[in-house]
Amino acid sequence: MDKRSYKYIGRNVTRFDAVDKVRGRFPYLADEPFPNALFGAVLFSPHANAVVKKIDVSEASRIEGVEILTYLDAPNARYNGSEWFPGQDDYPDETVLTGHARHVGDRIALVMADTEEKARKARDLVRVEYEILPAVTLPETAADMAGMLHEDGVKSFDGSICYGDLEKAFSSAAYIESDTVTTPKIHHAAMETHSVLAIPRGDVLEVRTPCQITFGVQYSIAQVLDMPLSKIRVIKANMGGTFGGKQEVVFEVLCAWAANRLKRPVFINTTREETILSTRTRAAVKGKVETALDADGTILGRSFELIVDAGAYLTGTKKVMMAMGKKASRLYRIPALSYKGSVVRTSTTPAGACRGYGSPQIHTITEIHTDLMCRRLGFDPVQFRLKNLLGEFEEDPSGGANIGKARVIECLSRGAAAFGWEENKAPKVSGGRFFTATGFACCTHGNGYYKTKYHDFSNMSLRLLEDGSAILRASIHELGSGATTALAQIVGEVTGIDVSKITVTEADTQFTSYDSGCQASRVIYVCGECARLVSEAAVKMLTQEASKLLDRPVRFYEGGLVCEGKKLDLGAAVREIMEKRRVSIEVNFEHRPESNPASFGVHFAEVTVDKLTGLVKVNRYLAIHDIGQAINESFVRGQIYGGIQMGIGMALSEELPFDSMGIPRVRNFDKYHLVNAPDMPDPEIILIEDNEPGGPFGAKSIGEISTVPVSAAIVNAVNRALGSSLTDLPLTPAKVVEAARNMGE
Amino acid sequence: MHIRLAMIVGVMFLKIELKINGKFRTAEVSASERLIDVLRQKFGLVSVKEGCGAGECGACTVIMDGEAVCSCVVPAFQADGHDILTVEGLEENGELDVIQQSFIDCDAVQCGFCTPGMIMSAKALLMKNPCPSREEIRTALAGNICRCTGYVQIIDAVETTAARIGVCRR
Ligand code: FES
Ligand code: FES
Repeated sequence: MDKRSYKYIGRNVTRFDAVDKVRGRFPYLADEPFPNALFGAVLFSPHANAVVKKIDVSEASRIEGVEILTYLDAPNARYNGSEWFPGQDDYPDETVLTGHARHVGDRIALVMADTEEKARKARDLVRVEYEILPAVTLPETAADMAGMLHEDGVKSFDGSICYGDLEKAFSSAAYIESDTVTTPKIHHAAMETHSVLAIPRGDVLEVRTPCQITFGVQYSIAQVLDMPLSKIRVIKANMGGTFGGKQEVVFEVLCAWAANRLKRPVFINTTREETILSTRTRAAVKGKVETALDADGTILGRSFELIVDAGAYLTGTKKVMMAMGKKASRLYRIPALSYKGSVVRTSTTPAGACRGYGSPQIHTITEIHTDLMCRRLGFDPVQFRLKNLLGEFEEDPSGGANIGKARVIECLSRGAAAFGWEENKAPKVSGGRFFTATGFACCTHGNGYYKTKYHDFSNMSLRLLEDGSAILRASIHELGSGATTALAQIVGEVTGIDVSKITVTEADTQFTSYDSGCQASRVIYVCGECARLVSEAAVKMLTQEASKLLDRPVRFYEGGLVCEGKKLDLGAAVREIMEKRRVSIEVNFEHRPESNPASFGVHFAEVTVDKLTGLVKVNRYLAIHDIGQAINESFVRGQIYGGIQMGIGMALSEELPFDSMGIPRVRNFDKYHLVNAPDMPDPEIILIEDNEPGGPFGAKSIGEISTVPVSAAIVNAVNRALGSSLTDLPLTPAKVVEAARNMGE
Repeated sequence: MHIRLAMIVGVMFLKIELKINGKFRTAEVSASERLIDVLRQKFGLVSVKEGCGAGECGACTVIMDGEAVCSCVVPAFQADGHDILTVEGLEENGELDVIQQSFIDCDAVQCGFCTPGMIMSAKALLMKNPCPSREEIRTALAGNICRCTGYVQIIDAVETTAARIGVCRR
């Protein structure tokens, strides 16, 4: 089909919830108090590693109407909140409440009252005596101290990926180059803090949560409450941002357990400090990468050794670490590879899923290394990459899915031309202290779970209603990216139904069918394709039924029903079929993808470094992405701009440091520096839309990949500006000043 | 200031009178209550969001006497005698304000949590400076954090609003 004739695909349809959101009438959980609900204030540990010796709730419980549940009341069942399906082998080391606090912000008790004020006041009256143990703050020594933090004594959670003859690659190499790069622990900073509501209703426990995987929440709760999955109803609530921070289960199990026990609705809401200290973070990584090259700069082999900081509980960090390894062979042609990762637990806020699921970390490590290696060896960084990047439909030697219709080479060459790389690659100095230079980085990310250890499918049904409108019953989680509207555009394109007449549901485990969740960059490629296929099936059913009704062939042509040259009204056809043939037009479809191609992107940044203050200003920016096809171009741009905002923060200013006692130095945004409007460039965006097979109308993912190459592009630009080899992120002013001082030495 | 004190079960309450979205309102507030609490809990104006509670994110921005303020750091009693505008007060006869429409048209909204505060900061800017440059818009929004949009489409929306208001000749 000619792209220009699309009615909805690629068009900037307004997102369904935009009007409510600009009116301030889009209710998040905290905006709609639930009748008779108790407000739950969690009592968080002020210590990094401490065992509770005594807990005294007497004073707090004297306040009328206060209910208190402590770790002494809580079930011992251990779970891992990153698991979203039974049988995933993520090590369970978390309980709903604990008498051994393993980080500042660990959950000791839940204090509930009819108002937030009362609950918080009562919470502050609970007296706890702790025996303080040594904090485990350094990933390097965490394995040796493991027994102090977790009674299980597990030192680390290791994993590896290996293929090819690495020994030969390294022994025959003309050059062997290595670098060590450190990426920081980061706060997701969704503007809405974490909250959850649990409502006991007869034998069903209802949980409303702004989450990414309702079926995963359901499963986590079932592990602790010992209830059948069918009796736990999880409803996706309106969400004020996530970025992976609300992907894993954090307060849901605690809230569900408390509500079930008290037989009353319980609502847990958190402050920013509580969300920063007690939820999830992006895992900090220290990675050593070593590359073997032949004399012309062709990669022969690469090895990695990583240490990944899970924080106080394992969470999904081992999954993240393995996902990082899985990305290592999907950007450049690497004939032999060894990837070794070690995940350790420290007495700091737990890590977990975060936009890109390890991709930003691994590509930051390899892309900074690639630039430094090129500089040391005298290779041009563009030419070096062009020589080694993957071409279309290459296989992933690690056993992952075929790379698909890769357009990364086009991204790089078109981007280099558009950004004026050749003209701008030499750093410029002005006023003796301002150094301006350009950097760039390439990256890849996935499109679902096909050919990984996890299953991937989406099940939806589409009903065409008797007035010609449609409802797509789908387990979608709208994260703010516009996914529900994009899916409606797909349905509208196939059925010809006006998008304004299409409703797309969000996940409700009681009414919508199974879906692997809004994670793994699978929503457009997998769920979107499911929406397309279910729409085609509905159209097929409609034409068949209409043909039987009229006893003449009815076809679907150019977005409408046609019978012997005459257009039929879709609503009238549905009505008559229902009335006369006693059949409703509803189909159910399950899509199980058999491909999982790579998305690609290359970002270019021009920065000016002030040698005196160490401040880095991003002047110009270009993001070029291989996305197959934009379903809604404006949504795609929005994802990319937001991804750049996050990536600049990771490169320059965002980090969650802890002191040697494990006390967090950051508790709110006063000390956590997010990129604001004055610091954000106006990026230029180029989309390469070359139709990826297996995606709806050729579309593939953008939301996660858009943040993946940013940090490396910025760091590479700073390193070119100063001639430095900075590899310890974020590049705070102090580090930049120090590097500038060493210039030319 | 004409604050009246009252004691209700041992807690000191202050009676305040203020104008909210064009209507005179009164409320009894405790000394520790913040403007955001009064707006959300007493008047149901839940467009006012709490993102940090510390004056650092701008999600709670309202316009007080023509100035954008973070309602999480304004003690409620200080609002006595003042004029407060929230997003709920922007619509006239059920019609969206041009700034709201521009946010929609420029796709300046993703998760929407920062949106009301962002709109109020931008509105306060436009009330004072109907033809701001892109740089002036950035500066006016410096205290409003958005994690979703990277600000670009928000700045576009503010520019579009200025153009639609039509005082600018550029
Ligand atoms: S909530 Fe008031 S500034 Fe963040
Ligand atoms: S739209 Fe989500 S924080 Fe701004």
